[in-house]
Amino acid sequence: MLPIAVDAMGGDKAPGEILAGVRLAVDDGIPVVLVGPPGLEHDADLALIAASELIAMHEEPGAAVRNKKDSTLVRAAEAVRDGNASAMISAGNTGATMAAALLRMGRIKGVKRPAIATPIPVPGSTPTVLLDAGANAEVQPEWLVQFAHMGSVYTRQRFGLPEPRVGLLSIGEEPGKGDSLRKEAFKLLADTNGLNFIGNIEGRDIMSDSVDVAVTDGFTGNVTLKTLEGGMKAIVKALLAAFASDPAYAEHAEALMPALLPLYASLDPDTYGGAVLLGVDGVCIISHGSTGATAMRNAIGVAAEMVEQRMVDEIRAAIA
Amino acid sequence: MSADAPVPIQRDEILGIVRDRLADILEIEPSGINEGQSFVDDLDADSLALIELVEALEEELSDRTVGFRIDDEDLADLKTVRDAVDYVYERSRSGAG
Repeated sequence: MLPIAVDAMGGDKAPGEILAGVRLAVDDGIPVVLVGPPGLEHDADLALIAASELIAMHEEPGAAVRNKKDSTLVRAAEAVRDGNASAMISAGNTGATMAAALLRMGRIKGVKRPAIATPIPVPGSTPTVLLDAGANAEVQPEWLVQFAHMGSVYTRQRFGLPEPRVGLLSIGEEPGKGDSLRKEAFKLLADTNGLNFIGNIEGRDIMSDSVDVAVTDGFTGNVTLKTLEGGMKAIVKALLAAFASDPAYAEHAEALMPALLPLYASLDPDTYGGAVLLGVDGVCIISHGSTGATAMRNAIGVAAEMVEQRMVDEIRAAIA
Repeated sequence: MSADAPVPIQRDEILGIVRDRLADILEIEPSGINEGQSFVDDLDADSLALIELVEALEEELSDRTVGFRIDDEDLADLKTVRDAVDYVYERSRSGAG
């Protein structure tokens, strides 16, 4: 397998934690090439694609990609386009990562718009894949059908589900619920062959074992994602505060830890290695800005898996 | 005959190029695109689609007009297909890059 190109400078904890994650992945047997400033390879003892510029988190994505042609993001995307890498990963500017992948790798023929697919942890079950989690604030009904196809391919390959259940995120389960976009998309999805469409779902279904792919527009998807992340953090914080509120509770909390820690790990987004940009002509993983070594290692693992399973070709076939 | 003298690009040809590239990017039929249409309101083109268009035009036209480039600060003014065609036509005639 060609190496996976990792943006060494992307993310709040770059390059230290990114390099630490890369080393773990290399120890796992996955080939990686860093993309970063010249000289970094000496510190990291890894192969490097030199890139002298960095696209910061606050920069406007399109302009940054157009003007910073020697940036780590652009060079990483070009490495995939030119056949020097099998996939790219960045924990940097999400919009710029998407723009670099789109402008350098291009879209899969027939794909109207790429979408960001994010696994949402589900206690005791496989995650629910939410898409679009932020690539397209406004969408057309037929784009949602393509998101459903792409999300199904990804979920099938990533989590081994032969016929992922696809739900349309709305404000009620009945077909007539929702705005005009949802109503039209419902009709199209119901009439589409090759999808296991189960109808409308509500926000509360996403973290339950009742759906595998939750399809929505990027605005709603991003609000949903951030709400769930914030909610889960608040619950964990409140639990820890409750445990610490009385010395008598500490002993009991300690006894519960063997049950709580695996649950915490299963709900931690870092476990799933970030989001995937579906619809571009190459594998592109968009990791969280706060990505540390473990999350980067997992993201590299996911990228390798998607390359080996020829996810891009499967999406191409599903869209054709 | 001088081999160095580039043939000026006609406006109709630019319209055809814009229409073809835009159709590729938006996955629609070229015949469904006309000059009066707004990129955002009529063609549902988002900002990234417009940047795809700009990069495609720069690549296609760089051979005909050396160093042809669309300035980022001008992008906000290109609201319709006609705006884009007129802009590219003027820039190509002035030999601007």
